[in-house]
Amino acid sequence: MTGPPVGTATVEPQASTVADSAPPAVRRRRRVRPWLFLLPLILINLFVVIGPSIATVYYSMTNWTGIGSAKFIGFANYRRAFDDPNVRQALLHNLIWFALFLTVPMALGLFGAYLLSQIRRYQILFRTIFFIPYVTASVVNAAVWQNILNPTNGIGVALGHLGIPGIGHVSFFGSPSWALYAVNFVVDWHWWGFLAVIFLAAMQGIDPSLYEAARVDGAGRWRQFRHITIPGIQPTLVFLALMTIVWSLKVFDYIYIITNGGPGGASQVVSTLMYNEAFTQFNAGYAAAIGLSMSFFIVIVLIGYFYLRKRGSKI
Amino acid sequence: MTESATVTRRNFLAGTGLAAGALLSGSALAACSSQSNGRTDLQLWIDITGAANEKYFSTHVIDVFEKADRKVEVDTTFYQGQDLRRVIQTALQARSGPDLVRGASASLTQAWSKAHTLADLSSYAAKDHWSSKISSWALKPFITGSKLYALPMRVDTMLLYYNKTLFGQKNWKAPTNRDELEALAEEAAGHGIIPFGATNVDWSAASEWLMTVFWNHYSGPQAIYQALTGQIPWTEPTFVEAVELLQSYFNKGWMGGSTAKYYSVPSATMGAQFGDGKIAMFPQGEWWMSSLGQFFGSAAHNGNDWDWAPLPALQSGIRYPLYEIGVGGSLGISAYSSHPSQAAQFLNWYYGDTQQALQRMADVPGTYNIPIPFSASSLPSGMDPRSRRLVTATQQAMATGDFGYVTWTWWPPKSDTFVYQGLDQVLTGKMTAKEYCAQLNQIFRQEMKAGTIPPTLKPGRYQA
Repeated sequence: MTGPPVGTATVEPQASTVADSAPPAVRRRRRVRPWLFLLPLILINLFVVIGPSIATVYYSMTNWTGIGSAKFIGFANYRRAFDDPNVRQALLHNLIWFALFLTVPMALGLFGAYLLSQIRRYQILFRTIFFIPYVTASVVNAAVWQNILNPTNGIGVALGHLGIPGIGHVSFFGSPSWALYAVNFVVDWHWWGFLAVIFLAAMQGIDPSLYEAARVDGAGRWRQFRHITIPGIQPTLVFLALMTIVWSLKVFDYIYIITNGGPGGASQVVSTLMYNEAFTQFNAGYAAAIGLSMSFFIVIVLIGYFYLRKRGSKI
Repeated sequence: MTESATVTRRNFLAGTGLAAGALLSGSALAACSSQSNGRTDLQLWIDITGAANEKYFSTHVIDVFEKADRKVEVDTTFYQGQDLRRVIQTALQARSGPDLVRGASASLTQAWSKAHTLADLSSYAAKDHWSSKISSWALKPFITGSKLYALPMRVDTMLLYYNKTLFGQKNWKAPTNRDELEALAEEAAGHGIIPFGATNVDWSAASEWLMTVFWNHYSGPQAIYQALTGQIPWTEPTFVEAVELLQSYFNKGWMGGSTAKYYSVPSATMGAQFGDGKIAMFPQGEWWMSSLGQFFGSAAHNGNDWDWAPLPALQSGIRYPLYEIGVGGSLGISAYSSHPSQAAQFLNWYYGDTQQALQRMADVPGTYNIPIPFSASSLPSGMDPRSRRLVTATQQAMATGDFGYVTWTWWPPKSDTFVYQGLDQVLTGKMTAKEYCAQLNQIFRQEMKAGTIPPTLKPGRYQA
């Protein structure tokens, strides 16, 4: 790291001298004032985030049922989670979910954004259309797709009537082999439009002269996309990939609404398993341990992100 | 920096004072809100869904009570069933929540009472003679030690609904035993009609309704009583065979069309198919009676009609008719309520005003059938005959001892949850019937050791 530019060195001591020459009471007030502004937020944070977090750590080491008193049992819940086949199955589902959620909507979002960036007329209309599923409530989206994929009168049946084989009697949400992928499809559908709009905004920040220069040099669309667009939106891309990882670990609402983790645990992920343990199985202490274990994975991802940033990656 | 952007100490203190004042006045208003105009406000959170049902409850229960007791007002908040249980439990744990506590099941209510979140109602019961107003058998699941913690909200049983028009056209009769049932199912399936409607899409615990039916009508109430009291294990062949029988019905495509459809076709679609004659029969709880009408007749433009019959005996030696009996949730008083005696006044009115109670039973079939003593002649004359037959049949079953046990009342909480979650594992091929019963037995033994088994109703005759 080089030193400060010449000239600034003379300014800073002056400012410092001014501050130092103020009476002690004024200096104290200046130091305290920002904290006073922060105080309400700190207090709220203590009540709604830090307090419950500490309570969760405590309850994860108890046999608490969700109501009444709790008995301290040390790390028994963590040991149980480690051996629990349901947790392993849910983690595997989270991994499948993560792989699909990281690739499918990202690829569709990039593709959609690129297509949108090529048009000028009706771009706002398409952006709105792409964005609508994202702003629609998950309950509504879930109900729409439950009806569309209804095995009695849904699209599968209609396609079957048209002669498409093997689809007429598929129960997408009711079959153990389909359920996880079917719900993932719904979530991908709701998510990719949002990514497309964000990617488009990032693409619009790329200097158009770079594309002109590339065209002059004979680069085709794919090479332009690969060597100009992708590097140009890299910070956005990495940030959204990071958030996608975090969100895929936290996925809950669509699975809870559509399949509730079923049938027979076929679409159970860690968050729905945790909910089930806390509110249906009366194992709130155990659910807290599962939740904290999950948070541990998320923290590792975030540490990796901030480590890369600190090392100077353009993310 | 401009003047307007500067925060002086005076401005800061004034702003802080205003904010604190607003907070304090808010708290004061909240404190006053439970006692306004000399009337006491009671909070009730309840799982009634649908505009018509909510309106009926507001006008025919709450308004009528408030007219009868001008010193108490009841503020009702409506929730979805599965949400209600969660929000009430969370609120009770935080020592807040409604004054009147709606419990989803007897086993859950018992868990709440053991956590000391429900008020002891024994003194109110003695003062207002609730034991003479409410059937004694229905109070039993809510007694912990010698204390009463809640009152039963509804008499639950399982029925075999059938499409009466379809049955008339095919010259079918409601089955009374397994041979008749299976012959009918074979014939219906041969005509391309799904023999039995079944779905758990809208209520994940629906699988326990099926296990309730198969254990009661195959294994029998005597075996269940012995298992509930720990005399025999759940691994007895009779329980395993009942699960296997249900599984075989699924494998044949008799239940809802297929196992996959059981998990993916919503109840509204399944109900519409039943109304249109694409499904012949539907094993369901008595509560379904209130919403079944939407799938039949002029409401569904199909000109069809429905009826119900007792579920058939699935093994020789099992009595017919036999009604598995339980209570559909409870009403209690929060241990943290500031107005427990006013809440008790509401309960006393709800269960004590027999005329109003019978009118509600008549108005909304299978929904407001609280377990109170009544004679058949006292039922309102305009009552739907199917609903009349239901309330008299369940009362008669208790009087003659021809009753069984529903899982959501007589099983302890974790075992009850496993009954339906474990059955899903069986139906999706992840577990055998034998493994299912073995795991149930293990959970049940743990709960028995922990003392969470609800008091079990002995086989016998119970006068209302």
